[in-house]
Amino acid sequence: MTLNRRRLFFRSLFLPLLAVLFLAGLTGCRERQRLPDASISVADVLRAENPEGYARALEPRAFQFPAEHGPHPDFRTEWWYYTGNLSTREGRRFGFQLTFFRSAFAPAMAPRSSEWASRQAYLAHFTVTDVDGKRFRSFERWNRGALGLAGAEASPFFRVWLEDWSASAAEPGSSAPVPPMRLKASEDGVSLDLLLQPGKPPTLQGDRGFSRKSAESGDASYYYSLTRMPAAGTILLGDERFEVTGLAWMDREWSTSSLGRDQMGWDWFALQLSDGRDLMLYQLRRRDGSADPASSGTVVGSKGETRHLALADFNLQSDGAWVSPRSGSRYPAAWRLRVPSEGIDVRVEPLLADQELDVSFRYWEGAVEVEGTSHGRPVQGRGYVELTGYEPPPG
Amino acid sequence: MTSPLLLRSSLRYLLRHPWQFGLAVLGVALGVAVVVSIDLANASATRAFTLSSEAVSGRATHQVVAGPGGLPDSAFRRLVLETDIPAAPVVEGYVFVPGRPGRPGSPGSPRSPRSPGRMLHLLGIDPFSEGPFRPYLSGGAQGGRDEATSFDLAPLLTRPAAGVISAATAEELGLKPGASLRVKVGGAERTIELVGALEPKDESTRNALSDLLVMDISSAQEVLERTGRLDRIDLIAQDSQLAEAEAVLPPGAQILRSSSRTETTEEMTEAFRLNLTALSLLALVCGVFLIYNTMVFSVVQRRTLIGTLRALGVTRGQIFALVLGEAAVVAVAGTAAGLGIGVLLAQELVRLVTQTINDLYFVVSVRELDVPIALLIKGGVMGIGATLAAALAPAIEATKAPPRAVLSRSALEGRMRRALPRISLAGAGLLAMGGGLLAVPAGGGLGLVVSFTGLFAVIVGAALLTPGATVVFMKLVRPVMGRLFGVLGRMAAGGVVASLSRTAVAIAALVIAVSTTIGIGVMIDSFRGTVVNWLEASLRSDIYLGTPSRAGGFSGGDLDPGVALRMTELPGIRRVNLLRRTEIPSPDGSVRLIILGTDLQGINVYQLKEGRAETVWPAFQGGDTVVVSEPFAHRRGVSAGDSVRLRTEDGDRDFKIAGVYYDYASDRGLVLMSRATYLRHWRDPQITGFSVDLKPGVDVDEAVKTLRAALAKEPGGDGLSIQSNRRLKEISMVIFDRTFRITDVLRLVSGMVAFIGVLSALMALQLERARELGVLRATGLTPGQVWHLVTSQTGLMGLAAGLLSIPVGLTLAAIMIFVINRRSFGWTIRMEVDPMILVSAMVLALAAALLAGIYPAWKMARTSPALALREE
Repeated sequence: MTLNRRRLFFRSLFLPLLAVLFLAGLTGCRERQRLPDASISVADVLRAENPEGYARALEPRAFQFPAEHGPHPDFRTEWWYYTGNLSTREGRRFGFQLTFFRSAFAPAMAPRSSEWASRQAYLAHFTVTDVDGKRFRSFERWNRGALGLAGAEASPFFRVWLEDWSASAAEPGSSAPVPPMRLKASEDGVSLDLLLQPGKPPTLQGDRGFSRKSAESGDASYYYSLTRMPAAGTILLGDERFEVTGLAWMDREWSTSSLGRDQMGWDWFALQLSDGRDLMLYQLRRRDGSADPASSGTVVGSKGETRHLALADFNLQSDGAWVSPRSGSRYPAAWRLRVPSEGIDVRVEPLLADQELDVSFRYWEGAVEVEGTSHGRPVQGRGYVELTGYEPPPG
Repeated sequence: MTSPLLLRSSLRYLLRHPWQFGLAVLGVALGVAVVVSIDLANASATRAFTLSSEAVSGRATHQVVAGPGGLPDSAFRRLVLETDIPAAPVVEGYVFVPGRPGRPGSPGSPRSPRSPGRMLHLLGIDPFSEGPFRPYLSGGAQGGRDEATSFDLAPLLTRPAAGVISAATAEELGLKPGASLRVKVGGAERTIELVGALEPKDESTRNALSDLLVMDISSAQEVLERTGRLDRIDLIAQDSQLAEAEAVLPPGAQILRSSSRTETTEEMTEAFRLNLTALSLLALVCGVFLIYNTMVFSVVQRRTLIGTLRALGVTRGQIFALVLGEAAVVAVAGTAAGLGIGVLLAQELVRLVTQTINDLYFVVSVRELDVPIALLIKGGVMGIGATLAAALAPAIEATKAPPRAVLSRSALEGRMRRALPRISLAGAGLLAMGGGLLAVPAGGGLGLVVSFTGLFAVIVGAALLTPGATVVFMKLVRPVMGRLFGVLGRMAAGGVVASLSRTAVAIAALVIAVSTTIGIGVMIDSFRGTVVNWLEASLRSDIYLGTPSRAGGFSGGDLDPGVALRMTELPGIRRVNLLRRTEIPSPDGSVRLIILGTDLQGINVYQLKEGRAETVWPAFQGGDTVVVSEPFAHRRGVSAGDSVRLRTEDGDRDFKIAGVYYDYASDRGLVLMSRATYLRHWRDPQITGFSVDLKPGVDVDEAVKTLRAALAKEPGGDGLSIQSNRRLKEISMVIFDRTFRITDVLRLVSGMVAFIGVLSALMALQLERARELGVLRATGLTPGQVWHLVTSQTGLMGLAAGLLSIPVGLTLAAIMIFVINRRSFGWTIRMEVDPMILVSAMVLALAAALLAGIYPAWKMARTSPALALREE
């Protein structure tokens, strides 16, 4: 049973932001004002949800590629989530995140004559981790899915964009199930332009892509990933230009219904190992401090074959901490991760301690490196870790 | 310092003459009240305007605007996609919330009072772009989360015609979130769904939001029928980024500084506000005369006492302090009362000021009077300062009394007579100076200040000439009086001159008051006459039809010209004249453009000030020429032969000014352009309205009915207002009269102050003469004869004041019409003097004087001569 962490993340972040940005004077496109991250209660937001009128994920379905890359507007929420580790020929290392969220305000809308009218809103986050320069930059944008300002489409070719940030099929004519993809984002002197190859075939998470999250019917999502996409392109930092290559990871998920209320947050890992395997897992933290039994993961073999991991299948222990100078939040900063059944025993360490997103809703999402053993042999790896729900100490 | 003995003496004096000091206090109070109330009313209107324009402009540094059609949606998209400049689109307009009739209470439902209708400013914004722009939406500067409680964005974005208003306004309108709000937009009815409330924390933001209806830009476009168009785009940009923005904007767009829009609107009303302030000062000037009079009287009456005090060793300084101290008591009491009355009066005046601004300039609504302490302090300083200044001369006078020497009445009068040539000379000098100042050609606010200074110099100069003129007048009138009333008549005339130091002040005060009345009366009358003539000449069509105006005033709504042209097929209709009103950006601020779609005959109703009709109108119909209104030419300093630069849809173009026409509709100025010229430069075929000329003999009311029926079948036709020529003239004159109502209030108060002054002066004078009258009574004058003597004396004074007021009043009128009005607004007004104004001014002067003489005459007549003689 897979718990769709991004969904929770998304609901906790995006909707309340939209609900209050109007009043709280939050992030404009480029001028930043923000919410204190402790102020939004995930549970409060989720309680307000009403799935009526939206499409629901009720049972496994056949995934049609490349159509699934495009939007599923009848579901309430959806995201395109790209992360990756890159380096130059000289070995200078970078991490990046480019994420597009779609959220519907309403399941339907009366016909409107204004082109501004839309029931879809888009939010995007863009980060670049300059490991050697010890600098992490993060940006945020949002807009309505109207007037060409933001949107997503599957035909004539896959494209999701928010103003001039975009992820799209690199060759518009391609009808390949997984086309090469192009990522573009640029802001305040930081630019990313990457070409991603498909790499392994899509990994359908959960039961053939039907990701159930509770016993309740309809509490589920559709979820697939591209876990190892060879990436090449350029990063611009001010006047400096870097030709980079590396591996990227894409998560795609869409859903409608809500989560339970007892989770505080989660620690999520997407690791690409040098033995050709990819590992995705997350541990949900409950309010009482315990790990939620729904925590789980997937091991993706070098040919794309998958194996589901339940909470009992892995052991995750953090042995370091980092305190954010901005929020005061205390995040775990290093882990020992063991998956005995897969022979994995590794340490996971951030490439840079401060990879907290300085956007409306603070969370930590950053590039990590992996060192340890796989079936007793030395193994290295790269990946991304996401840490949410670490609230600053009161006062 | 003054000794306790002196203080006691001073206090005793004040207590024994309560009426005298009471009137002085009242005079100061009224003067201060008028100044303060005008100040407060102006400040409140300005502040309300600034607040609401700040609320609407937010933190934008610049605004992109364009001509009649506004900007296309794509202009915003290009700014966002192709530049890094934060931008926020705005669609705005006004909606009217109709009032509801009162409902008596019944069990279970409380009584609901009748509510008047209310105008709301519809502000359509894009919440996604708002963040950096409008702080009030974030509940003040760093409002934070606790503000963000009231509503969900989803319904605002997705439900058609969804909006939010401030919680306070919702309460006033008796609405809860979720309620429907019925409004009128132009002529059409719409239902707005309230999906939440804005609850700003601080007071000033609450006020700024009180008339705002905020909607998503999609709903705003739909409600205002502006789909695809933006009224403006707000930017937060460095000057260096503007070129980047220009590059992606359509050629008809113009980038303005946000502040320039506010400044322009403030400039628009500057002349209006300055005029009010100056008129309010007139009331204070009258009050100052009153103080002067009271203090002189008090000094003269105590001449013996002061002489004795000096002999006892009291220094000049102490005497000076004594008199000034008394004046200070009057000043403080009067000013304090004046501030109180001023605040009360301002409640009423702010309504009149706001009404005028709404009629003439832009929509502003003042929910409550703003009372800044600074303005009260300013009013207080002015009141006390003016009072003490007026008391200065009498105080110095008092110090001149030699010890024990009796400063006799006759000595004072002797000095007055000796000073007469100097006073008259000073008066003539002031007149000359005033004339010189008025001749200084200066424009703008400074020019107005110079003009008003000149006006005041003329008034004070006239006042200083009054004693001399009084002497001359009495000399002329004395034989006549003798012939009519015998000795008593001659005595009355002689008495005025004999106590010139007292009578002259009273007459001067009366002259100022009455001449102000004449001046303002003649000015308004002339203006009114000119406007009536102008309306008569320029409203030649029989019926006028128009879309209700949009976004606070000038620009009208849109109508398909086909609708108008189809009306020509109706029976009885000779032709229609198409009209478009719109505001066009130009490098020197926006220009109000009137586009005429009519033939030469239809245009000829405009009377030219510059240029000849035979050449101007053909040129107007042909090339890129315009005709500008007189105020426009005045404001821009242009005349026929110059040109006006306008931002067309293809960029800036120069339009030659073929002529200047008389217009009294707008003091901002108007530009006439032919429809052919307009359509060459703007792709905007819509019209705002049209006028209909009927065939001879067709009944107007019948034609209105026919038109109404025909228009009901046309798209957008049912929202048109239809007015007959006669009705339109009536409405125009109602607005005109409303504009001058506040001037009338000022005139009234000035008159009251002057009347109090005259009353006080005459009473003082007559009471002072108690001994003289006592002697007369002792030598055989009957009480009736005393009564007669006193009344004929005050009557003579009133007559003198009335006669002197006529030339002074006409001079003031001429100054207001030909100098101040021209410099403020640039209008040509033909001066017309209605003899009734002069007659009623004479009646006013005589009545005031006679009324003021009643109490002293009555008192004198019934005082026993023995008592009067025992004074010493």
